[in-house]
Amino acid sequence: MASTSEMGSADFETLVSTSDVELLKRAWRNEKAAPEILQYEAALVDRAKEQIELVEETIEEYVEDGIDPLVVSLYQMDLDRTQFLLRSYLRVRLLKIEKFMFHNHKSEEAQQRLSEQEKVFAKRCAGDLEKHFEESVLVKLPENYQSVLKQSLISEVDDMVPQPHLDTFVVCRSNNFVSLNLYEEGESPETVEMERGDLYFIRYKIVRGAIESGKIDLI
Amino acid sequence: MYGRKGYQLVKDFASGEKGQLKPFNSKLFDEAVEECDQNHHLIQSLIRKMQQEGLDVQNNRNADHYGALIHHLSLIRNKRCLMAYVYNRAEIVRDLAWRVGLELLDLPSEIQEKLTTLEKEYFKNHSVAIKSYMGKVGIELNVDMVPPKDPYIKVRVLDDIDDGIVLGDKITNFSRHSMHFVKRTDAEQYIARGQMEELTG
Repeated sequence: MASTSEMGSADFETLVSTSDVELLKRAWRNEKAAPEILQYEAALVDRAKEQIELVEETIEEYVEDGIDPLVVSLYQMDLDRTQFLLRSYLRVRLLKIEKFMFHNHKSEEAQQRLSEQEKVFAKRCAGDLEKHFEESVLVKLPENYQSVLKQSLISEVDDMVPQPHLDTFVVCRSNNFVSLNLYEEGESPETVEMERGDLYFIRYKIVRGAIESGKIDLI
Repeated sequence: MYGRKGYQLVKDFASGEKGQLKPFNSKLFDEAVEECDQNHHLIQSLIRKMQQEGLDVQNNRNADHYGALIHHLSLIRNKRCLMAYVYNRAEIVRDLAWRVGLELLDLPSEIQEKLTTLEKEYFKNHSVAIKSYMGKVGIELNVDMVPPKDPYIKVRVLDDIDDGIVLGDKITNFSRHSMHFVKRTDAEQYIARGQMEELTG
């Protein structure tokens, strides 16, 4: 990306990378690449919404004031891009909620990551699909086999619920020096060390914590 | 062979083009359901037989027990296939709601024909869920499906769009085969419904 050899460019880089648009882009990229739903960026979304409204007002004023249409269209383009980011971010999350609705519904961890509106959406989603399942299939099956979540009454756990594959591989870049344990507890320890800017193709589970703390970004 | 009907049903779905619906295969679907019923009857008669012989049904491991087990497994397999069939179709139905339009009438009639009554019902319910989310958040999410490159695009009208469409402050005449240079956000809904195509290059 931006060259780091110039004086002061590092400062500029940090300044740019902490602007809301950059933060939103980062949240969007992470959300797009992660197999499971991530923490909802409530404050960031609110700020982005406010800024979009502000720019919309500014553009209207410019049009009224008869400012050069080219300048206006540049602002418009910038606005379009930010709006796309925000919409796509929210949309990706809804699609994930749709995909893992039954899992999200019963997993505490997933529930906590949703915004209030998303929770309502998730609940409705699961309710609607459950109703659809019941009316199309389950009502026609024998009594002990009518659960949406279990194969039959004798199943001890919910064995009909699709879950996100946390073992899937993702491409990521580290923002800081991080040292990660490649294996789960109980297995032989082997660590991988990432320098700032290193690119890795790695199992999602391993970098999961580092993404949450912002040390690593998915791309 | 037990469990084959369910397998054929899933195959029937998988043989279709990805993301495209085929008509609901109610013949195979009902046959698979029928097999589930048969399996269930046989399980019960085997259990009754064991009870009549005075055997402990829970812990007894004779031929009848394993017979019942086979029927149980076949039933579960068919159930999973039936559910997978409905689930995968439901996924496409949701995708239609996102990509084409949130009103059932927005869907082209050839797609509507392929949906069952229950699937139409599901489509409506799910659209309401999406709409109510968008209403609460205050952002329309079913526009801007592709990242914007240019605020204006060139389009060709493929179908007669009867009502006078207002773009910005002008009423435009969109007769068939005419080409226009319009705002991307204005054209998107018509492209999704197949009434316009984007001209590239």
